[in-house]
Amino acid sequence: MLELYRHDIAGTFYSWKGGIWIVTAALIFSLVAYLLLTDKELSLLDQGEMLFTLTEVIISLGIIISVITASSSVSTEIESGTFESLLLTPVTPWKISLQKLLSIITIWIILYVVSIPYIFAVAGGTNLGISAILYVGLYGTLLIIGFSALSIAISGRLRSSKNSIMTMIMIVLILLSPSLFFASSLKKTDFGLTLENINPVSHTMNSLDSLLVDNEQLLSQQLSHIWPVIIFTIICIVFFTFYTRKFEIKGL
Amino acid sequence: MKSIVMDGDNRKNQERDDRSNSIHTFNLTKTFNNFHAVESLSISVNPGDIFGFLGPNGAGKTTTIRMLCGLISPTSGTGKIAGLDIVKDSLKIKKIIGLLPESSGFYSWMNAREYLVYFAALYKIEEQIAKKRIQNLIEKMGLATKSTVPIGYYSRGMKQRLGLARTLINEPKIIFLDEPTLGLDPKGQQDIQRILVDLNRENHVTIFFSSHALNEVSSLCNRIAIVNKGRLVAEGSIDELRKLVGDSSEYLLIRLLNLPDTQKALSNIQLPIKINSNINNPTKEFIDVSVLDAESHSINKVLEIFISSGLQIYEIKRMNRSLEDIFFKLTDSKKEQKLHQDIKPEISKNIDKNQNITGSKTGSKLQNHGGEQ
Repeated sequence: MLELYRHDIAGTFYSWKGGIWIVTAALIFSLVAYLLLTDKELSLLDQGEMLFTLTEVIISLGIIISVITASSSVSTEIESGTFESLLLTPVTPWKISLQKLLSIITIWIILYVVSIPYIFAVAGGTNLGISAILYVGLYGTLLIIGFSALSIAISGRLRSSKNSIMTMIMIVLILLSPSLFFASSLKKTDFGLTLENINPVSHTMNSLDSLLVDNEQLLSQQLSHIWPVIIFTIICIVFFTFYTRKFEIKGL
Repeated sequence: MKSIVMDGDNRKNQERDDRSNSIHTFNLTKTFNNFHAVESLSISVNPGDIFGFLGPNGAGKTTTIRMLCGLISPTSGTGKIAGLDIVKDSLKIKKIIGLLPESSGFYSWMNAREYLVYFAALYKIEEQIAKKRIQNLIEKMGLATKSTVPIGYYSRGMKQRLGLARTLINEPKIIFLDEPTLGLDPKGQQDIQRILVDLNRENHVTIFFSSHALNEVSSLCNRIAIVNKGRLVAEGSIDELRKLVGDSSEYLLIRLLNLPDTQKALSNIQLPIKINSNINNPTKEFIDVSVLDAESHSINKVLEIFISSGLQIYEIKRMNRSLEDIFFKLTDSKKEQKLHQDIKPEISKNIDKNQNITGSKTGSKLQNHGGEQ
């Protein structure tokens, strides 16, 4: 079992994906942190808001990297013909997919560790640093497990990297849009409210907002946001288990 | 050439289980939407056979192999590999078989040794045993000098050898090969054939060999099945298949000049023996007539009639019916139907006669499932 995991990690970091993603993410964190601390207009923001912006960037970037890597994980192997060889071994498709999921979670953990110094830098002088790190870890891990599981299942289902990446990017954009792109008036419409209520990304962002901007640091104050994210992750894992438990090679 | 060294215990077990290295399918069917890729396929491969699985493109060869190896589930019918059900026991089957697919994919960033170590680990082969086995396979496949070069730099032939090494990493009792020598140079083809023969002779491995290379199949395989459009057309040894298509391994080819009256004259004459001709589809210059009963007195009679009918003979040749002839005859759809009608009574008799020899290593069961169509 571990051999598959090791192989996936090695493959990810041997190819451009793993290493370049981490370096790019570190550069983006540096740029955001630098702008927040030095830009005239941005530095006028409340420190909690600065930290909230940085955590939004960390989680969004984590989701995008995980989704792109996971969406191509199975389909790339199908397209290159290596998946058939794996299916010929006495390892179930579910175990193969699970190892891929673990290797993507590992990339998120590396990304998360890389982000910690930036959180501390922006949170300097406040009591928000530890909370920000813990909640980014909690929400980030839950969302990355959910999105990656969903992406791997879709990747195996669609069998095409192009199609699975496009599908997952569309899903992620729809879920990220209330937090990143919706104006406050749009958020208050029935559509905006419904999307916010069922959207795990919105719950995450709203939780971080209340935690870091409104300083609501009690766990009980965040539970209403944590549950929907946990439910989303569970649904994605069920979907993953259902679609990876059996896998058939297609074509004559 | 060095042979594969098997671990002592495995070899003993393999010899003990040799009799169970069989493949049986019964009415195996696979349908994709409304397309019947494989239809009611019933074949038997005896332990130790090198079984040739022939058919034109789209005949259902790869689909059959994938069903047998547990990569896809049959729509209906059953299959057994070494007594294990291909659906219920697919994981157990995967432990004892090896498949070299038509086009294997490889991780271009790995080298041959890393690649084999990876697959050995997936088969949960103990590290020390795996190390020894990998070294042995790398040497046998002629990859020793390139074992640390990334696979991305390998030629097609080298990749095919590496694919074969991967297929053998778990010391399978049954090997499935889907067009294993496709795209290889003659030397590469010969090397792979030699490895397969060694495996069959020394380790009693049953080999299920799908190929388009008819010469290769006729030289390697002791039994052959021919499929067309998802159905089994014939199964047996080459001699049995020869009998199936023409009663004789030899026939006489009489080439007539295609003159204005030749076709009319040929269609009007009555011959005492069976002939085949391309009278409905002649070339511009010739009409070919094959006399299946190539006895000298029959030939004389035919020639006398031809000459007395004014037919102009261009040449006469004694021909051997090759696997190619058999293959084309059996997979030609128009002839296939005619053939089924002609041979059905005889086949029924042969099946009865051969039932008691099914199961012996060389005893081939002569079947024709065309009549079921």
